[in-house]
Amino acid sequence: MERKKQALLLALPASLALLLFFIFPMIYILIRTLAENGTADFTAFFTDPFYLDILWTTLRVSLISTAVSLLLGYPTAYYMARTPSRLKQAMVIVILFPFLVSAVVRSYGWMVILGTNGLLNQFLMGLGLISEPLKILNTETAVIIGMIHLLIPYMILSLVGVLQSIDPNVEYAAYSLGASPMTTFTRVIFPLSTPGIISGCVLVFTMSMTSYVTPKLLGGSKFRMMATMVVQEINVSFDWGAAAAISYILLAVILAVQVVVVLTTGKYMKRMGGGKNA
Amino acid sequence: MRDGHVNWLCRLVAVLVMLFLVAPLVVIVLASFTPTALVTFPPQGFSLKWYANIFTSSTHFMDGLVKSLEIGILATLLDVLLGVTAALSICRYDFRGKNALLNYFTSPMYVPSVAFAFVLLQLYSQLGGVPGMLRIFIGHFIIILPYVVRNTVSVLHVFNWTLEDAATSLGANPVQVFFKITIPLAKPGILAGALLAFLYSFDEVALSSLLSTPRFITLPIRIMNYMELTFDPTLAAISTLLMVASLVLIILMERLVGLDMFMK
Repeated sequence: MERKKQALLLALPASLALLLFFIFPMIYILIRTLAENGTADFTAFFTDPFYLDILWTTLRVSLISTAVSLLLGYPTAYYMARTPSRLKQAMVIVILFPFLVSAVVRSYGWMVILGTNGLLNQFLMGLGLISEPLKILNTETAVIIGMIHLLIPYMILSLVGVLQSIDPNVEYAAYSLGASPMTTFTRVIFPLSTPGIISGCVLVFTMSMTSYVTPKLLGGSKFRMMATMVVQEINVSFDWGAAAAISYILLAVILAVQVVVVLTTGKYMKRMGGGKNA
Repeated sequence: MRDGHVNWLCRLVAVLVMLFLVAPLVVIVLASFTPTALVTFPPQGFSLKWYANIFTSSTHFMDGLVKSLEIGILATLLDVLLGVTAALSICRYDFRGKNALLNYFTSPMYVPSVAFAFVLLQLYSQLGGVPGMLRIFIGHFIIILPYVVRNTVSVLHVFNWTLEDAATSLGANPVQVFFKITIPLAKPGILAGALLAFLYSFDEVALSSLLSTPRFITLPIRIMNYMELTFDPTLAAISTLLMVASLVLIILMERLVGLDMFMK
């Protein structure tokens, strides 16, 4: 009993802080929004094509970013998992380093590259491949490029851990039994790596769903995703009801993803990153 | 070694991904030294004027830096206290609902920071008179708490608690046990968590941009505001300095706890 009391005592400060400054405000503002306008703000969201389009854009950008991150991240992670440790360490640093550099800084780098007078256009025009500068910055493509750059390290790190734990002898066994590299991949490596694939995809998907910096800086003023829309409703339209609706719908989507993952895999995602700076 | 079995396609993709990751960062460093306002490649000369501009520009970057450091350090310190006690309560004792409690402590991770920012903004507008620093501080210390809890838990999870009993049986009092045994052994997790938490706060944009007041603006928001008005290599210069700071931190962490801590 004495120990239980100690445990409770240790848990108390953080629990109270979360309750007071996090759980209570989140619930209180939801109740207040509902008490003031009923469900009007929420129904407005789901009936207005303007908002549905934003939700669709957010989903589309997130799905594409997740798919490309997986497609490029998987071979990279596999290479890292099967490569001598010196090279691997260098790769880990290359992957972790941009991870420590803020989204604002990274988006700035892409602005310099992708802008109308940017390095990519200078390069392509210098080669004579194009005569008019390509418009990439302030489009969805730029947002997706920036998003993949931001999030692919999370995908790779999720995959490396799992791929490393697959004994290479399992692969050799498949080969020695006559399996082609393709069969070995689809029947052996891929199934064994699904936990890493799921956690990587959930992580990248939720982070891009909630991202704010990348769409704001690389998408331009006309490009809207859920998170940038919340800020726009508050600062430009002064429509707090709409901001509330978008905020809680976004939260609901993230929680729904988590519930689906728990139901299908029986595990909580260790890393969720619903709020990570993206 | 086993390199032979990794086919050339994997290697090619890995190399391209590495280049893709590094490219914008290299561009930023090169851009910071160009003498022209438009970044060209190859650069037409060499200049440090953008670095000087950081300190002389009417956008007070240094003021932003000080405010970001204040918030980041204070929020991290508070969260180390809250997070380490929380992690101890979960790992040290066996009770039902342990996992639920861990999920509770890490729950801010599941919430989009922009949604939390909106909620705080509405709360503050009802309370009225919440000063600028406190507005952002509350948001930050909540949103970064999970990093400290989770990283500390990951170390305490494999902690050999009999070491505490051994120290006690050798005559150490509970305070000595805590500071001489428990804390030193949990240090890698606490440090890694604190670093991630600090960096999160330092780079945070969504909360800070909604909750900042004209008198209290953090560095990332100052940079974004500057970007909207002027797009010159001053941004590259300040970005380069921030990257150098990150590099120093990552080397420091490599020395202190090893980078494996961050791959969990």
